[in-house]
Amino acid sequence: MLTNTGPVAKLYLSIIDDVIESMRELFLDEGLEDCVLDDLRHLWESKMMQSKAMEDFRKNNINSSNFVLQLPANYSQTDQDVTASVVIPASQNIQSFPRLKNNSETLATFSLPAGLAYPVQIPAGVTLQTASGQLYKVNVPVVVTQAAAGQQPARTVSEFREAAAPQSAAVPQNTTHPQEVEPSSVTASSVTPPPPQKTSLPPSQESTVPQQPPVPAAEGPQPQTADSPEPEVTLRENEPSPQLEPMNLSMTASSCTQLLDFQIRAEEALAQTAPLQSRDIDDILKEVIEEESQKVERARSLAAGKTGNQEDALGLDLDYSYDDLSDIVQLDGPADNSDLEEEEGVPLEENDFLGIINAEAIKALQEGDASSDGNSISSSSESEGAEDHVIEEEEDPLNSGDDVVEQDIPDLFDTDNVIVCQYDKIHRSKNRWKFHLKDGVMCYGGRDYVFSKAVGEAEW
Amino acid sequence: MDSSNDDALDIIVSNVVATFRTRCHLNLRTIALEGTNVIYKPEVGKVLMKLRKPKITASIWSSGKIICTGATSEDEAKQGARRLARCLQKLGFKVRFSAFKVVNVLAVCSMPFAIHLIDFTKNNRPIASYEPELHPAATYRIKNLKATIQVFSTGSITVTGPNVQNVATAVEQVYPLLFECQKPLCE
Repeated sequence: MLTNTGPVAKLYLSIIDDVIESMRELFLDEGLEDCVLDDLRHLWESKMMQSKAMEDFRKNNINSSNFVLQLPANYSQTDQDVTASVVIPASQNIQSFPRLKNNSETLATFSLPAGLAYPVQIPAGVTLQTASGQLYKVNVPVVVTQAAAGQQPARTVSEFREAAAPQSAAVPQNTTHPQEVEPSSVTASSVTPPPPQKTSLPPSQESTVPQQPPVPAAEGPQPQTADSPEPEVTLRENEPSPQLEPMNLSMTASSCTQLLDFQIRAEEALAQTAPLQSRDIDDILKEVIEEESQKVERARSLAAGKTGNQEDALGLDLDYSYDDLSDIVQLDGPADNSDLEEEEGVPLEENDFLGIINAEAIKALQEGDASSDGNSISSSSESEGAEDHVIEEEEDPLNSGDDVVEQDIPDLFDTDNVIVCQYDKIHRSKNRWKFHLKDGVMCYGGRDYVFSKAVGEAEW
Repeated sequence: MDSSNDDALDIIVSNVVATFRTRCHLNLRTIALEGTNVIYKPEVGKVLMKLRKPKITASIWSSGKIICTGATSEDEAKQGARRLARCLQKLGFKVRFSAFKVVNVLAVCSMPFAIHLIDFTKNNRPIASYEPELHPAATYRIKNLKATIQVFSTGSITVTGPNVQNVATAVEQVYPLLFECQKPLCE
């Protein structure tokens, strides 16, 4: 599905929708079947997602993990109020989640940006979906923190458990208990992707034994373990206190790998599988969610059975794309759009205005007229006294380009960075250009950006 | 060409304006659409084309007349004009480079002394004119050279003339007059 969509992708999808819908009648009139139109639509969407979303995916996966939070409808988890505001104190942005009503059936999807040193607070009743697609339900407010990439070998995982879940965590200890993280080192165990409910989480009533919940990673053994030193995890058993406690996971993160061990209280028995090899934030949250999903299942016996179904069952749907929000925000508005220096001035036919400003000339700054040398002019030997003898055709001093230096025309349009837009005002002082643009689409670095206003400066 | 009076008075040519004709009608719209580094000014009816290598701005009219400004020497102006014509030729016009003429040369020069403009104007009554409320410089026109010199009280002067040679001669001519009216002397 089109979950990881930025605002640009949403715009494109809406455009696709409009076009397809308006074409439906025409198609029918022509006698073509509806499925043809649907095929076209799917093809179009897939191609678009491929070309554009690939960058999004890549960017997301490279940096960090993506989470799609799905808040279940009618989630009534005893005392705990579903704080529908997820505050992500990211380094750049703070994403505040819209308040979701418990009774409203909406699926709030919201992607966390990658690469932020997150203390990520995830409210209870949230289903997390990793980029891989696994859905994990969180029944307990979870705060996932990450030690500042400092490769600290020791982490403390403190977990506070909300006592909202009245069900006793009668989770039987799995066989994977031995896989718990020892304070010494944690070798990321390979995570097998069992169904999400199967996350085994030690019950709260268990004695304080450091336990390492398995992370059923969808993608099997994480290949990321290589470089990171296995962080040590000190797990504390959550005290079975009935107060609401945020779960706090601190994890050290290596550049790519984040090994998380945390203890999650589960209420039902969850088959714990797979030794933990490498974890990233995905896995941790998967576990959390799975555990919670169990609780929810028990508590509600609703359609929260399979987390896979949760997606369908939950009606709350709030598309919230976070990943590129920072970029988009910064590109809009008065922010200096130095990118304009490289693109703009698309195929001239597409421009609305005749005042062509060839900003690709900026690019040509490097090349300039270097190729043409000025010496050839001095070598030209034609006579210059042709001022008054304009009638003398033979006199043509231009020599058909033989001696005349030919100005190098760099391949100014041979660029991939393009802006197609309208202009409010283009101003020039000597060789400084200022652009006030509006309503445009920019393709920069392979990615598309849409803006309603853009301001730029350039030097020719 | 410094005069023998002064030792190495630097005359810096800052602008050379030249015109030439292409002998053919030019479609400004085509130039504006297909040319590189062009600015179309339909309200005036011309296209500006800027060159980088000799830093030159050319105003192109549809009649085929082109005015080339921004060069720092006559040769540079010629070279730039030819390049420009070549550019237009490449755009598809039957351009012939003809009637190239340097129209104006602007140079600046700095005297090592300040000048008392009132005295200078008094001494050179008909030729020099000074209207301080209009312009802070005294204007000295040399008729036979067709050069105009603007004299500022700081000692800087600007000279405009039809070619570089005239400009140099004008500086030489005016130097002794300025020397007479040095400020510290007259003070």
